[in-house]
Amino acid sequence: MARRVLSLILAQLNMNFAISHSRYYYLKKRQRLWEPVLIVLGVGGAAASLAVGIYTAASYYYSTAAAIGQEAVTLTLGILLSQVLVMILGFVLVIAVFYFSNDLAILIPLPLRPAEVLAGKFAVILASEYVGLVVFVLPVIIAYGVRADVSAVPYVLSSILVFLALPVVPLVLAAIPAILLMRVAGLSRRKDTLAMIGGFLFIGVIVVFQFFVQTKAPGVGEEAEFLAKMLATANSLVYIVGARLPPSIWATKALALAGTWQGLWNLGIFLVAGVLGFVVLLVIGDRVFYQGVLSGFEAGARKGAARRAGKAKAAGYVSRSPIASLAIIEMKLFTRTPVFVLNGFTGFVMFPVMFVAMFLMRGNPEMARLWDVLLAVPAFDAIGALVIAAYFFVLAAMSSIPFTAFSREGRRNIWIPRSFPASAKTIALGKAVGAEIMVALGAIPGIAVLGYVARLPLASVAVGVVFGVMSSFVLNLCGVLFDMWRPMLNWTDQQKAVKSNLNVVVGMLMGVAVLAVLGLAVNFLINLGLPAWGVVAGVGGVLAALLAALVALLGAVADRLWSGLEA
Amino acid sequence: MSGASLLRLEGVSKTYRGGTRPAVDNLSLEVRAGEIFGFLGPNGAGKTTTIKMVVGLLRADRGTILVNGHDVARDPVAAKADIGYVPDNPDLYERLTGIEYLNLVADIFGVSREERRRRIGELLEMFELESAVADIIQSYSHGMKQKLALTGALLHDPRVFILDEPMVGLDPRASRLFKDMMRSHCDKGHTVFFSTHVLEVAERLCDRVGIINMGRLIACGSVEELRERRKQTDETLEDIFLELTEAGEAK
Repeated sequence: MARRVLSLILAQLNMNFAISHSRYYYLKKRQRLWEPVLIVLGVGGAAASLAVGIYTAASYYYSTAAAIGQEAVTLTLGILLSQVLVMILGFVLVIAVFYFSNDLAILIPLPLRPAEVLAGKFAVILASEYVGLVVFVLPVIIAYGVRADVSAVPYVLSSILVFLALPVVPLVLAAIPAILLMRVAGLSRRKDTLAMIGGFLFIGVIVVFQFFVQTKAPGVGEEAEFLAKMLATANSLVYIVGARLPPSIWATKALALAGTWQGLWNLGIFLVAGVLGFVVLLVIGDRVFYQGVLSGFEAGARKGAARRAGKAKAAGYVSRSPIASLAIIEMKLFTRTPVFVLNGFTGFVMFPVMFVAMFLMRGNPEMARLWDVLLAVPAFDAIGALVIAAYFFVLAAMSSIPFTAFSREGRRNIWIPRSFPASAKTIALGKAVGAEIMVALGAIPGIAVLGYVARLPLASVAVGVVFGVMSSFVLNLCGVLFDMWRPMLNWTDQQKAVKSNLNVVVGMLMGVAVLAVLGLAVNFLINLGLPAWGVVAGVGGVLAALLAALVALLGAVADRLWSGLEA
Repeated sequence: MSGASLLRLEGVSKTYRGGTRPAVDNLSLEVRAGEIFGFLGPNGAGKTTTIKMVVGLLRADRGTILVNGHDVARDPVAAKADIGYVPDNPDLYERLTGIEYLNLVADIFGVSREERRRRIGELLEMFELESAVADIIQSYSHGMKQKLALTGALLHDPRVFILDEPMVGLDPRASRLFKDMMRSHCDKGHTVFFSTHVLEVAERLCDRVGIINMGRLIACGSVEELRERRKQTDETLEDIFLELTEAGEAK
């Protein structure tokens, strides 16, 4: 049994990280060798600089905390934040990898127990989490080890074990509700919708929990005062966190007290918690995992049977322009795929939940002070319009929708738009308009809350929405064009098309670049001495110019990019 | 051959990146209006690569491809507007319903509302898909997906109907209907170009066949012409195919 599970895990890891695929193309065929070089230089460089930044911040934090003997809180915060991150991302990953992988139809007929398949899939998610943790939590552990007075060998050994076990408990905590949700959703004909709603509820709960924990920390003030207050109450923060996620405390003590019996005891508890959690997951999974997966295979057929029983007359013949038709299909395909929705719409749900939580916390003296400061800002209504426009922009950048417009088609479906007698510009515009409608609709809840909470005049909201649509359409056009140039079509499950797609990272970088351009424009306009609404109008002018330039660029290069896309 | 040239390939070559030999090597052929042309060849001979170049999914390294007089490289939109294409494995948008997919295709090909209502009705009836058209494509069997892809490809009554292994997945009744439909499509002055491994079908159905092996066209003409050239009047298309392709591989 162990041998076949190991074999399954190795095969899953191979597929997930495209190991054989890369070996074949890069080493044997020696094709597109610039790709791994670019990935190492680009992603590796960005990850390394981020890791160095986190290391520096952790060292600084350590110094301040050590002054009042609370240095261990450095580890607690690093571990806690990474575990919350693992839990949020893990929930979406579990649903995607456990229930929407292309290889499930191959794995299920194999003589494997559900728990064995689940173990293989869990290993894939775990491995993906390690990649992120190397950047986010390893620098914190190293910084603490370098600065603290710890015995080198026990600390390094404990660090390795803690690092390996770190994502297990939060992933188990995300996976158990996920497989139970999918089991319950599988009983319904609206399985996909239920999965999406459940997913967002889970994310909402985690966001509120995180927000609640954070607001227990002292409020805004002078930096030194803030830090002093923060550190003075560090134990209460740790207590709150520890009451909800004790593993972060065990991990902290395992590292901070490495080489002592107490450290060893906490390391033991931490590892046993991970193993026990995994066993519980396997036991539950063995009973309900396949039921959720198989109900997914049945859902379509059941629906089909119902329709064939006499409800087939719903078919309609609607005629639309190619751009409108492409935009509508883009929205339908995106919103009917739970994996895409859970990845792309997270911001649409997360931000309004945060805004509402902030509003509900207004009674808190620190929050009330923050609101007073914000509302006292001069020309708040003009700035509010820009904030709303920026909100659209951030949602578009975070959504991954435009930057995966063609990648999501994959090798299987790209032949469909490629064989259409429509210009590349039409196809790109159709996809960009579809993305824009999704972003605009997704922005409504957040804007409604923002407008109400900040008591923005209707004119500010209206101007913000118009500029928001313009700013997000700029990014949508950039994204669609970039993804037309370099789509990631080789993916084995939908999650990879949106999550492991470098184009999404490029999208965020492009977002930063466009924001920088807009920031420079605002700075320039303020220096000209324009009134606040004059600055807002100037930003509108810059956005209009950017849009015009992008549409011209689309006309100039889209056909070349499209014809170069071989499928 | 009498009709106007609807599909013409002149000196078309394609080598995949990193490939050691061309997948298609200096291929020239012409298909005229009213013809059913069967494109035959062993696995890996270059059939699908050729078809993908014709429909614009791959770019030819050299040569020209004209569809109803439109150069696929220079005027792809006009060329594609005259093509109806069904790939070997019709992967469709699984999360759309059948009618949503057909409406998308009709919108892109500019089929009017009345025309699409008539054409879709006819084709769905022919393929017995009427009761399933409101279902999500994910729930379709392989054969139903194949039929839906065929319906989509025929919606705009294309001048050039291109199919890669069209018989795979069709039940005997649908297969028979489809073959009749191919003939009636050509009788309207259009053309059908399809690849197949089913040599009996090709022999019975095609006005002309082309045999490709290792990227090169090694024979082209009606089955009768091929027999005459080889001075073997009792040979079947299967005999001709096997001898020609085995001889090619022996070289």
